[in-house]
Amino acid sequence: MPRIGRWVIALPMALLAIATIYPVLFTANVAFKSRREYVLDRFAVAESFGWDNFATAWTRSGLDRYFVNSLLVTAASVLLLILIGSMAGFAFSHLSFRGSRLLFAGCLGALLVPFQVIMVPFFRVLVDTGLLDTYPGLVLAYVSQFLPFTIFLMTSYYAGIPRDIVEAARIDGNSPFGVYRRIMLPLGRPALVSVAILNALYCWNDVLVALLVMQSSEHRTLMVGITALRGQYSSDIPTFAAGVLIAAVPLLLVYLVFQRQITEGVTAGSTKG
Amino acid sequence: MTVGTASAPARAAELSEGRRWAMPERAWPYLLVAPAVLVLAVFRFYPLLLGANFSLTGDGEQNGQFNGLANYVEIFRDPVFGSALRNVGLLILLLPVAVAVPGLLATFLFLHVPGHRFYRSVYFFPVVLSPVIIGAIFNIVLAIDGPVNVLLGGLGLRPVEWLGDPGIAMFSVVAVHIWATFGMALVIFLAGFATLDRSLLDAARVDGANLAQTIRHVIVPGLSRTIQFVVVTTMIGMLTSMFGLLYVMTGGGPGSSTYLPELYIWVMQGEMNRPALASAASMVLFALMVVIGAAQIRILRRATKEA
Repeated sequence: MPRIGRWVIALPMALLAIATIYPVLFTANVAFKSRREYVLDRFAVAESFGWDNFATAWTRSGLDRYFVNSLLVTAASVLLLILIGSMAGFAFSHLSFRGSRLLFAGCLGALLVPFQVIMVPFFRVLVDTGLLDTYPGLVLAYVSQFLPFTIFLMTSYYAGIPRDIVEAARIDGNSPFGVYRRIMLPLGRPALVSVAILNALYCWNDVLVALLVMQSSEHRTLMVGITALRGQYSSDIPTFAAGVLIAAVPLLLVYLVFQRQITEGVTAGSTKG
Repeated sequence: MTVGTASAPARAAELSEGRRWAMPERAWPYLLVAPAVLVLAVFRFYPLLLGANFSLTGDGEQNGQFNGLANYVEIFRDPVFGSALRNVGLLILLLPVAVAVPGLLATFLFLHVPGHRFYRSVYFFPVVLSPVIIGAIFNIVLAIDGPVNVLLGGLGLRPVEWLGDPGIAMFSVVAVHIWATFGMALVIFLAGFATLDRSLLDAARVDGANLAQTIRHVIVPGLSRTIQFVVVTTMIGMLTSMFGLLYVMTGGGPGSSTYLPELYIWVMQGEMNRPALASAASMVLFALMVVIGAAQIRILRRATKEA
């Protein structure tokens, strides 16, 4: 390290770490407080770590239902994304066929079309196909939104797998699909895990697409449920905080378990070479 | 390696085997890419064309009738859309901050400040939280009687209306957005640092360069591509992933002080029932994205070729 006092830098970094973590801890503490405790003293540690606020948010506000909706939609979207994305990634990286460059450019070009830009006509397409306010409608929305990124990552990952392996498998009598299923799918596991986790985070965390596609309240996803909870409990901050914590806990767990895969996925497309 | 183009020997092998493969074999690549191409064609590119068409037609009673550029004229006269565009300008002005903060932090982490592993984990953690959760947390933290103002009061300062003052609200939201996303840029910078030539750093140290000189003459030139990438992705992130924050924290208010084009599109489509007008705003946002995204695609392409 160049000549500069390490601790002169370490101090602001420590302060920033506190600024990063404190708002979350504060909210977690509030979630365990009674309304009276919260009004009297915002900062004191909760007197008794009761679960009343969580029970209220979970059952009476329907978060239980929204939680299951989010799980279903996220799981289905991620499965479809890694299946469709890895198939295309294999074809683009290892099979030569007429029009492949054009199709690949088209798939990447879709990165330029964020959901906000096509939101209005997308709504019309869902109405026309009868997919509005349905689970398949939301799943297709997520798949179409995150597919370009998935294809890009899978293509660049598969491009790093030697062609000889594919050739050998072909000579052993595998069809291209056989090569995909027996060779590429297993070899692609590290990339697939990263892509799956990143896509799961995106789907779980989204609110815009879910607000647009899911019209009826029983189809709400968890994040939409949280925005509704805010209106419902605007004067009962502890219950609102409990709902927020319920929505955040799965993310905290995913982060703790998969931190390495998440950061690898984030950086995979950025700085190769 | 260039995607989709076989090397010469591979192509030769393919030609010789081509005769052995039955016709359906040649169809395999198309079958493998078909689901992806279909999904993107139907749910991405077709709506884009449809939206371009909508933007040139009327709303309400004039639904579907061609009316030229009337919608575009109307949105550019709408003070709310004007406010949204001004806020885009503000984002561009704040972009250097959003890039420099993680860049500087990554530099410190790279130079192994005590506790760098711990800091890296902590800083990245908000990245996994959704904008809704973050917005909700900061609704509580920045409330007029919330902890930040309680702290200010303890210092003898007057409370600030972080989200209720039109002159302050947008800065609050952008600050929260940067708080939530700087960990992402930080990790990308760190990946860039991993490719940096160590010997240049050692040479700088031998020459007695201080930290500022090292950053200016070694790190910035060495990481130019990473910096480009972070600038582009941060800008796109600001234009397309603040909806959740805006929706939860301010709803565009007070007044129209925290509008961005994406929120304007949402309000016009959902609340005002003006889909054609919303489509015109969408096309303006798309034009912004194409300008920024063209740079991104160039960088991504280069990365794939070198993979």
